[in-house]
Amino acid sequence: MPVELTIEQKNGHIAGRFFAMASDCEILVDSTDKRIAGQIIESLYTECLRIEKKYSRYRTDNIVYQINHAQSARVDIDTETYQLLNLAKTCYELSEGYFDITSGILGKVWSFDGSDCLADKKDVEELLSLVGFSKLNFDQTSITIPAGMALDFGGIAKEYAVDRCANKALALAPEISVLVNYGGDIAVSRPRLHSAYWQVGVAHPDPQKDTDVLVQIAQGGLATSGDANRFLLKDGVRYSHVLDPKTGQPIIDAPASVTVAGDNCTQAGLLSTMALLQGKNAERFLVEQTVKHWCIRLSHL
Amino acid sequence: MKNKMKLALITIVVSQVVGCASLGVQPWERDLLAKEEMALNAEGVDLSLDDHIYFSKEATSGGRGFAGGGCGCN
Amino acid sequence: MQLTKKTNIAAQLATATCVLLGSAQTHAAPTTSGEWQFDTAILYYGETDRVSLVEGVVSATKDFGDDHIFNGKITYDGLTGASATGAVAQDAVQTFSRPSGKGGYQVAANTTPLDDTFRDSRVQLNANWAQPFSSGIAGGVGVHISKEYDYFSAGLNGNLSFDFNQKNTTLSVGSSFQYDQIDPVGGKPIGLSSMPMRPYSDYDDDDEQSESENSDEFYDSAFTTQYQSREKSADKNTLDVLVGLTQVLNRRTIMQVNYGLSVADGYLNDPYKLLSVVDTTGVTQDIVFEERPDTRTKHNIFWQTKYAMNNGVVDVSYRYMQDDWDIKSHTVESRLRFNVGESGYLQPHFRYYRQGAAEFYRPFLLANEALPEYASADYRLGEMTAYTLGIKYGQKRANGDAWAVRLEYYQQNPQNAGFAEPEALQQQDLYPSIKAMVLQFNYSF
Repeated sequence: MPVELTIEQKNGHIAGRFFAMASDCEILVDSTDKRIAGQIIESLYTECLRIEKKYSRYRTDNIVYQINHAQSARVDIDTETYQLLNLAKTCYELSEGYFDITSGILGKVWSFDGSDCLADKKDVEELLSLVGFSKLNFDQTSITIPAGMALDFGGIAKEYAVDRCANKALALAPEISVLVNYGGDIAVSRPRLHSAYWQVGVAHPDPQKDTDVLVQIAQGGLATSGDANRFLLKDGVRYSHVLDPKTGQPIIDAPASVTVAGDNCTQAGLLSTMALLQGKNAERFLVEQTVKHWCIRLSHL
Repeated sequence: MKNKMKLALITIVVSQVVGCASLGVQPWERDLLAKEEMALNAEGVDLSLDDHIYFSKEATSGGRGFAGGGCGCN
Repeated sequence: MQLTKKTNIAAQLATATCVLLGSAQTHAAPTTSGEWQFDTAILYYGETDRVSLVEGVVSATKDFGDDHIFNGKITYDGLTGASATGAVAQDAVQTFSRPSGKGGYQVAANTTPLDDTFRDSRVQLNANWAQPFSSGIAGGVGVHISKEYDYFSAGLNGNLSFDFNQKNTTLSVGSSFQYDQIDPVGGKPIGLSSMPMRPYSDYDDDDEQSESENSDEFYDSAFTTQYQSREKSADKNTLDVLVGLTQVLNRRTIMQVNYGLSVADGYLNDPYKLLSVVDTTGVTQDIVFEERPDTRTKHNIFWQTKYAMNNGVVDVSYRYMQDDWDIKSHTVESRLRFNVGESGYLQPHFRYYRQGAAEFYRPFLLANEALPEYASADYRLGEMTAYTLGIKYGQKRANGDAWAVRLEYYQQNPQNAGFAEPEALQQQDLYPSIKAMVLQFNYSF
């Protein structure tokens, strides 16, 4: 996979590939017109890089860095950031506090490397005072967060980028179906003209398998959340890399991977994350939500 | 033993993802079935008018729905 | 995480992400209540020389959010014209009493006797409520009442459906109960009794109404007593049970199979239907009222498949019915929808129907044979084939309204179910065909 964008003609469609958001990304355009497909792919590629740059927490030149390092000062935000915060708030409320974009800080004391090193209880207690979406104060133009706290849009940004790009494709070419696949998070702009669905390979959720899984998708979104290679194992208990923001402890007995099909990629991604947070009840949660889903549980023990 | 279980589990999941093993469709494949004209009771007004005519002209009624006609025409 | 409240998180997230993405999603979550949707239709049905019917329907549907759907419907129909009484044609003029006993009418030689007093209007009201109960389970209830001059019907129904296999399979069960009351004009005649005849032979042919209504004084008292002693009304109960299975086969195909059981109990006669009692040469000796059993149990099997083409829909169905009156019927129906242009469609319709005769169906009775327990010459209980050919054109308007017009031809061909005909009847058409045109206009907004 190249970091730079490459565009190539495939059988009946045109594919663009690049590396961004720590993932292999591909854009498939249901057209054989290289000029139009090229324009769409380049435009989406630009959009993807824009979102990555704006919401990555590994950069020092973006709004996330500004907010996280404001030391309790008020920071101006734009409409897009406000809307993302609003969605995060909705998720926080719907999940009764379990989906929390301020919980990333807990990761400091946990290293999920498959070992049996659990975090020190005291360290966890200290960090918990810096977690809690309800401690944020934001409106349409600004946000204030307590010093020491940090936002992490990692659980939303990639899926958001996928949907933004799919919508952009629809606006650019309403008649052409475009599939956006950023590391297995997928959205399709509209159904294909001459074929029933797109077929794409995504990495197998089980890291021990190096084959791709073929996914057929006609429209809507698909997203996967998982911890297949990020977990701790102690005394026969599998600790997920997903942390409970109320206790600071990992969720126990979560599936290794949850894939959800939804109206759009962001919705699917949020549902799959919420399912992981349910631990052993993940499948039941998804059944209750009546969404199409696939849960993988691995028996490494 | 445990290893075997894992293999079986993944095979099922993968075949579901590929969506070729079982009767029916995935939610994102409902684009055609979701069309108004694909509903089994599409054109409901026409169907009930037809039912009324045939109920009053033939010995058979119902099938699609209940057989009662609600009129004295038979 | 163990959520305490069972909310529909998927739907709320769909709405929230739509706001974020600022786009009209293809599947916007239907959590808010919608506008009233009206479907209206007016239909004209006309048989050559027989019945004609005008029927109007206004149906209103509203989604109160989360698939809580109300539907109310009002139907009006007005019927005029003549329908076969069941008596056979003769080579001489025949005289019949009107059902009311007030006056009579004459039927010309070699003409199928028709009762042309049919002039009725009917109003029916339906109301239905449907809603989901929990994941994969939905239900509905409905009521109807219907009133016409001599008939009243009221019914209740309910159904439950269960989704399985990611909503690819749906099992539904339903039941309905209907109460019908008939107040026949002139009272309820006794089955297989002779039609009372007026003692005076002043029957008129055409404009009998004005004259006969004032002619009570001419009735002989024995004649009048026959009507006065009749019961005024009769009723029946009908219980239906319906079990259905719907299966999505693939992205383009959906299939449904239903089994329906219908048990009717009570007065099942048509009080206006007659039978001729003829001698061995075929000459009418007497006219009697029909008599049917007072229970009827029907079994229906219904199968339907719809297939989505790239530019239309194929809809095929088959129905088999069998009842304890020994009637068996087959119905095959198909609608093919072809999309035309951006927003129009053309839809040919074909229907074929075939039924066998009820065990007590008799085109006439023989005077030298004992009266059977039950007998009816109603053509609707005899052997027949029928077909419908139709075409419909519909179009969606730019403002979202839709209109359609359809034209259909229906022909019914009754057949002799194996009855030997005495000489005088051989030259008569005992099984006249019915030919009808249907014209309908729909508008939805």
